[in-house]
Amino acid sequence: MNDLEFKQSSPLSIGVELELQLVNTRDHDLTRAASDLLSFLRNRSYTGEIKPEITESMIEVSTGVHATYDPLVRELRSIRDTLVAAAKTLNIGVAGGGAHPFQRWTERRIFDRPRFRHVSGLYGYLAKQFTVFGQHIHVGCAGGDDALYLLHAWARYIPQLIALSACSPFYQGVDTAFESSRLNAVFAFPLSGRAPFLLKWDEFNHYFDRMRKAGIVESMKDFYWDIRPKPEYGTMEIRICDTPLTVERAAALALYVQSLSRWLLETRPYRLTEDIYLAYSFNRFQACRFGMEGELVDVLMETRRPIGEDILATLDLLAPHTKDNGEAKALAAIAAIVRDGNEARWMREQYNLNGSLPDLVWRQVRRFRGEE
Amino acid sequence: MHDLFFLPSWPPVVGDLLWYGALLLAGEITGIAVHRWLRLPRLIGWIIVGLIVGPYVTGALDQERLASLSVVLNVAIGIVLFELGQRVDLSWLRRNPWLLGTSILESGLSFAAMFFVLRLLDTPPLVAAIAAALGVTTAPAVVLALVRDMRSQGQVTERMLLFTALSSIYTFITVSVLLASLAHEYRGDWISILGHPSYLILGSLLFAAVFASMTLRLLHLLGHRQESQFICVIGLVAVAVWGATALQLSVALALMGYGTMMRTFDAQRHFVSLNFGRVGRIFLILLFVLTAASLDLRLLGAGALGGLALVLARFVGKSLGVFALARQSGLTNQKAWYLSIGLLPKAGVTIVLVHEVNAMYPQFGPALATVMVSAIVILELIGPPLAAYALRKSGEAFEEGQT
Repeated sequence: MNDLEFKQSSPLSIGVELELQLVNTRDHDLTRAASDLLSFLRNRSYTGEIKPEITESMIEVSTGVHATYDPLVRELRSIRDTLVAAAKTLNIGVAGGGAHPFQRWTERRIFDRPRFRHVSGLYGYLAKQFTVFGQHIHVGCAGGDDALYLLHAWARYIPQLIALSACSPFYQGVDTAFESSRLNAVFAFPLSGRAPFLLKWDEFNHYFDRMRKAGIVESMKDFYWDIRPKPEYGTMEIRICDTPLTVERAAALALYVQSLSRWLLETRPYRLTEDIYLAYSFNRFQACRFGMEGELVDVLMETRRPIGEDILATLDLLAPHTKDNGEAKALAAIAAIVRDGNEARWMREQYNLNGSLPDLVWRQVRRFRGEE
Repeated sequence: MHDLFFLPSWPPVVGDLLWYGALLLAGEITGIAVHRWLRLPRLIGWIIVGLIVGPYVTGALDQERLASLSVVLNVAIGIVLFELGQRVDLSWLRRNPWLLGTSILESGLSFAAMFFVLRLLDTPPLVAAIAAALGVTTAPAVVLALVRDMRSQGQVTERMLLFTALSSIYTFITVSVLLASLAHEYRGDWISILGHPSYLILGSLLFAAVFASMTLRLLHLLGHRQESQFICVIGLVAVAVWGATALQLSVALALMGYGTMMRTFDAQRHFVSLNFGRVGRIFLILLFVLTAASLDLRLLGAGALGGLALVLARFVGKSLGVFALARQSGLTNQKAWYLSIGLLPKAGVTIVLVHEVNAMYPQFGPALATVMVSAIVILELIGPPLAAYALRKSGEAFEEGQT
């Protein structure tokens, strides 16, 4: 039955996936351009991977496996430059952001692939409403047990990552009052939320096998969890971040997760119990709704403080374990987000300049190119 | 006075209003029928209705009535040109210069091919050049109606719109220069040769700039009220059509420039989502029905052979142009093929131009007019379904009921 063998990977290596928006250059609404972009790139060489996603208005890029910040950010920049050059030729805009501010989901078109057609057939309008854009961060693990330790230990820090990456305050043409509205689109799926509290890979395997035999899932891909193991890569994958507006921020977030994971595995600060999930949904909501000002309840330590403050405290814990300059740079960038506000705040500020959502998306496109 | 004075006279007087209503109803219903049962674009239905009621088939609509109904055509054409102008992104040419090359090639080669055919038919060079130049453009109304109706997005769509707008501009400039030369053959007057085209081009652009900045200022005053913005723009477009005509400028250049400049001057993108939706469709239906009504299908027989030769020459020229730089401009061969087909449609309105030229310069000759008109009729009929086919096959259309 051992279908889910957890492949070993280089511990604490990181890789990043970004789902990006494709918009037209007229009113900056989402546009169906993934196929054109991919066939344009087919005969060109570039680093990283560029793949279709569920709708034609979305594209996914992923990096290779990296140990440190500098090569990661270098690869991300190179992928970005490839995309930006192609998009300029084809008159498309590429942008980050967790959700498009004013697209109508009824206009979306499912990319023509068997899996996407299956998902669309099964979930109906949910599949199109799922036109939201996230960053996925993979962390390599020495084995399945370490991976599961990380999965549950991270749970406490998920609100931090939501607040740091949040950049989907506008959705379907309105200000949602949320900093990250994107995660609300994920809740609707029956297999969303968190993984079961299991700490041994054997137990997890057993669980997965039962779910499969019961006909609930066919593969790990059918789980829409916030954190999900990827046994074939030997990684644990965090999926709750909104795609940031710049690749530099995406790299900084990945490094933060790497530092956090190193500290967690080296110091094992918690004896994990399922109690860690008592405040999980509450904290997650606080982060989505209020960002840095949201309240984070730590059930184990019995504390409650604003998420921004909690991030700064965590950075203090991580500082002594820093490995190199790149990591220090990335952690400084994280502290700067707490200090200067996240990108949801930036988006609201830009919108308030002139009240034009198309103009906001245009600025997102420019920011992604590194021009703003 | 008669006792029953309040009763209407019988039969009742048929007025323009009745015709507008009837044409809209017939157009929309036939459009839906054609779309539902034949999977053809709705505008084919509109054309069919026009052909049937026109003076040359059933004669339900006579020449006089057609002329009186056609007032609305000017506004309809104005809206189409304005919208096309708004949709076209000239900065794309800067980012992808191969597109400008492609556009010049597809227009230039189709011009050359048609010129060649016309010369074979013993047309005098200057007249052949005017006719070929008139033949170059792709129909803006057909392209816009199809793209809108099929909710098409992608490279074929975007390039169709861009090349259509550019070819209209080339044709307009070439024709005005050539007509001035033709006048010169008569009068030997250099001022009119240089002066007239410059007045047309510069005057139209200046006119467009004035209207665009005026409109933006007005829309800012109105604030975020989509409905009012839209109604004001329709009003302004009508005034602009009238103004351009009164000043003897080019309606095509002025209105397209108006749309393009509206977009360029709108630095904060407040009005970029302006679209003509339902009201636009009313004008489009009338445009197609009325221009189809004026098609004389008998000419199709008379000039069919020459017309067909012209159609083929035009297609070959356009495809060569599109394929020549396809790879450099970032288009797959398959999409280049669909784009070549997509550029086929021809505007029925061109016929009006042919007749006008014919009236002004008799040396244009009835034989040439026949060949030109039959070429245009052929393209008016086969262009839209072929272009629709191209959009559908390229995977860029997104019609009702699709996922």
